[in-house]
Amino acid sequence: MPAKRLDEVLRETFVVVPAYNEARVVGDVVRGLLATFPNVVVVNDGSSDDTAAVLKETPATLVTHLINLGQGAALQTGITYALERGASYIVTFDADGQHRPEDALQAVRVLSEGGGDAVCGSRFLGTASNVPRIRKFVLKAAVGLANLTSGARMTDAHNGLRALSRKAAASLDLTQSGMAHASEIISQLRAHGMQIREVPVQIDYTEYSLAKGQSSLNSINILVDLFIGRFLK
Amino acid sequence: MTFKYFLVAVLIGFIFYLLLLRRLDVLRKAVISVVVLTMLVFAIQPDWSTSVAQQVGISRGVDLLFYLSHLTLFFVAFVYFLKFKNMEARLVKLVRQLALDRARANP
Repeated sequence: MPAKRLDEVLRETFVVVPAYNEARVVGDVVRGLLATFPNVVVVNDGSSDDTAAVLKETPATLVTHLINLGQGAALQTGITYALERGASYIVTFDADGQHRPEDALQAVRVLSEGGGDAVCGSRFLGTASNVPRIRKFVLKAAVGLANLTSGARMTDAHNGLRALSRKAAASLDLTQSGMAHASEIISQLRAHGMQIREVPVQIDYTEYSLAKGQSSLNSINILVDLFIGRFLK
Repeated sequence: MTFKYFLVAVLIGFIFYLLLLRRLDVLRKAVISVVVLTMLVFAIQPDWSTSVAQQVGISRGVDLLFYLSHLTLFFVAFVYFLKFKNMEARLVKLVRQLALDRARANP
């Protein structure tokens, strides 16, 4: 089967952006994405600031959680919506401005050219190495655990930038509402026999994104959530 | 001695309250009654708890009760934690359904 043209691929791609109290940056993030991707779905996860008002000024589709559920729950809502709208490719993209649209484009390009069922961004591949030291340690511990429990060989499990084929996205049924969803995505993709690839991405750490991002101590909560999650299955 | 009578009165009152509760099924009522009756017996005859403790290799009855109460509280907390997580999962489904219904109505 001949490879699809890029513009055709982009028309069939939906970018899902989970947003919680991101009024300061989400408008620019969405406008940056819309320059490349025609379909952007923002899940406003019960924000109490002006996130909804900012998003209404953009052509992005807005899906609203009435209360805050967590990033994992917001992603699942966005993915379900995108699948209903007929998406062939789904990109997940953080709302805090730390990802670059060109990296999302590269992930989609790799995926559409036959690069597996899911392409995950990795800040530890290639030359992307501007990661603060403590964060690097926590992320390495998290990826070690994700690899141990899923059997995958990832270099970065908690990167919010991913491109999923329709088949891979449909195989997901995220139960981890909080930040443990990143490990859960890898586990579920592996459990359904999906091929996962990684591409190098650049993370723009700003004062804002570091303050908004998860604290190092939150990694303990992630471990507890993953452990308890096994009891609830 | 005064506290002993107070404890006995509270436990007897609790058993009556338990028996009058309509929300609990018979099995739960029976299990809780056995636990409370055991506490009642040990409140009236504290030495008996020491005899039981020594049967299982613990020298003092109060230590046995301490361990058992810790185990019980941990179990209860864990069960309620799982129930809470379960309820949270149902809430997520509800909020998601509402969000998707609204988005479908205003695409």
